[in-house]
Amino acid sequence: MSGGRNIILEAREITKRFGHPASFINQSTLVHAVTAVSLSVRRGETLAIVGESGCGKSTLGRLLLRLIEPSSGSVFYEGTEITALKQKDMRRLRRELQIIFQDPFASLNPRMTVRQILAEPIRLHRLAVGKDVDDRVDRLMRTVGLRADWSDRYVHEFSGGQRQRIGIARALAGDPKLIIGDEPVSALDVSIQAQVVNLLGELKHDFGLTLVIVAHDLAVIRHMSDRVAVMYLGEVVELAPADDLYEAPLHPYTSALLQAIPVSDPAARGQRQLLQGDLPSPTAPPSGCRFHTRCPHARPLCSQAHPALEAAGEGRFVACHFWREIQSAGVSLPVATTRRSALELRLGLYRARQAERKQGAQ
Amino acid sequence: MTTTEPLLSVENFSLGFGSKIDLIDGISFSVEPGKTLCLVGESGCGKSVTSLALMGLLATTPARITGGKARFDGKDLFTLSERARADLRGNDIAMIFQEPMTSLNPSMTIGQQIVEGILRHKPVSRDAAQARALEMLGLVRMPAPEKRFHAYPHQLSGGMRQRAMIAMALANAPKLLIADEPTTALDVTIQAQILALVSRLQAETGTAMILITHDLSVVAEVADHVAVMYAGRIVEVGSVDDIFSDPQHPYTLGLFGSVPSIGRRSSTLATIEGSVPPLEHMPRGCRFATRCPFADQRCMDEVPPDYEPKAGHRVACWYAPLEAHVRAA
Repeated sequence: MSGGRNIILEAREITKRFGHPASFINQSTLVHAVTAVSLSVRRGETLAIVGESGCGKSTLGRLLLRLIEPSSGSVFYEGTEITALKQKDMRRLRRELQIIFQDPFASLNPRMTVRQILAEPIRLHRLAVGKDVDDRVDRLMRTVGLRADWSDRYVHEFSGGQRQRIGIARALAGDPKLIIGDEPVSALDVSIQAQVVNLLGELKHDFGLTLVIVAHDLAVIRHMSDRVAVMYLGEVVELAPADDLYEAPLHPYTSALLQAIPVSDPAARGQRQLLQGDLPSPTAPPSGCRFHTRCPHARPLCSQAHPALEAAGEGRFVACHFWREIQSAGVSLPVATTRRSALELRLGLYRARQAERKQGAQ
Repeated sequence: MTTTEPLLSVENFSLGFGSKIDLIDGISFSVEPGKTLCLVGESGCGKSVTSLALMGLLATTPARITGGKARFDGKDLFTLSERARADLRGNDIAMIFQEPMTSLNPSMTIGQQIVEGILRHKPVSRDAAQARALEMLGLVRMPAPEKRFHAYPHQLSGGMRQRAMIAMALANAPKLLIADEPTTALDVTIQAQILALVSRLQAETGTAMILITHDLSVVAEVADHVAVMYAGRIVEVGSVDDIFSDPQHPYTLGLFGSVPSIGRRSSTLATIEGSVPPLEHMPRGCRFATRCPFADQRCMDEVPPDYEPKAGHRVACWYAPLEAHVRAA
């Protein structure tokens, strides 16, 4: 993948295994969570990492921030190999590299007020002292759409969506350059999801952030990301600009994931080719291409040789022996949503009135 | 909805937690034999507690029924004796829960749990019940059913557990299946498998279903009829085509606007501002009024009448249809 100053964060052949290898007495409990993943994140982009539960996407997210140590491989941030830094130096960098967790209740200290939670990184990184800390906290609260005078409340006093806003405010408190969102909206209700997705988009724009979003919801991903990396059993199987990936997926796993999304139109209900079976156990990943046990296009070669992630033109990468042939065989795509006129018309009125009221309130 | 005699008809059902204001405030809906009704709404709108009320499982919660009727197959569910309810439960009415891990018994094998349910309701021998359980595991396409029969829930994946739940729920060929967010905890590929499975089994057995979900794309996939719930009231009800091609209520519109569409990308998602107010601050009129961009004082004070754009499609909004009452900006 292209290097240069354009790249803010890069993983090279990064691998993470959990557990113990086989010994005299014990069977191997080694889980191959992430295997030799190379990935670069461009400055200012939103990169999404998607896949099913257990594919290693959250582990990869944590590896990128060195929240866990890799078994092998390295991570570079702004050209510095952060996997080789001393803890002390790493701690200084942490201000610039932040994370938002899936469950905002489990990741915010219930015994601290929101003010204490937000002030902690500001003090720790000496971004402000004295009364300026309070000003910064108030500003953060308003930035994420919360009332500044709520900051003396405890986390349990807030709703799920508000808690996630607090989680975002905490990530922003240290003036970060890059934020990793680990399923930042999947625990929230749809209407609240939309609020948080919009907020992340605005913040990214206003603060010039780079975002890495780890998620399993492909619809949300398309809406918010520039590029998408698809993971399967610890490996990246496809990486492409979002629109290309959704319009013409190259890897059979990507098209299976897209096929699995229910159509949002009852008239388009029909027979879809569904992926059968469950994800194989990551303690004993299949030989060759790890997807071959579920792949509708698998051939003998697939169980023998491991396909490398190769360039497929136009900034796309795919790890499949037969992607050219499969593609020419015509992968059918999910039917695009056809919103009908009554919905368009009324949703138009809804948006217009909402915008009017917002203006009126300011 | 149509002229077919409904299997279940709920009228003016209200439920509260002992305060002055009821959480569920007089909702009515019906389910026809073999059809699927989707109850759509967000957390806290009362859809799950409605299903618990229908199952007669409220005793473990602080909620109490404060009014209304639920006629199922000629019986009023809300006045049945506890014994009669227990005979219905798991037999004529079965339920699938969201999180199969917490609703399966961790100390019993999958097979034992299915057999127990059959023996409770059907006058069959243990051998016959076991054969039926095994048959059900095959029907739900459980991989290696003979082996899984002896497996404990923790030994199965999330998708397999949900298959086991479905096998258990359908083992006695219920007339009505209530599925409370059956696929929410699952990955999208497994969700698609489970939805396809449920539709197929439903077509084969003629079981009616109430599917509770917050996911409109799931609704589009499986529903015949849809009831959109907000804060304990049904704001819009109709056939799935009515709701998707002619959505009327501002809350329904907001829900559609909030869902990112897979087909194309727009700059920002339409959102529903704010959040559901606590019960004690619920407006007297339309409960959506605090978040609705069209709301005025009348919406806050007076309960909106039903507007019926066509037979079976009802909307509770003072301003429906919007285009007739609201001028474009």
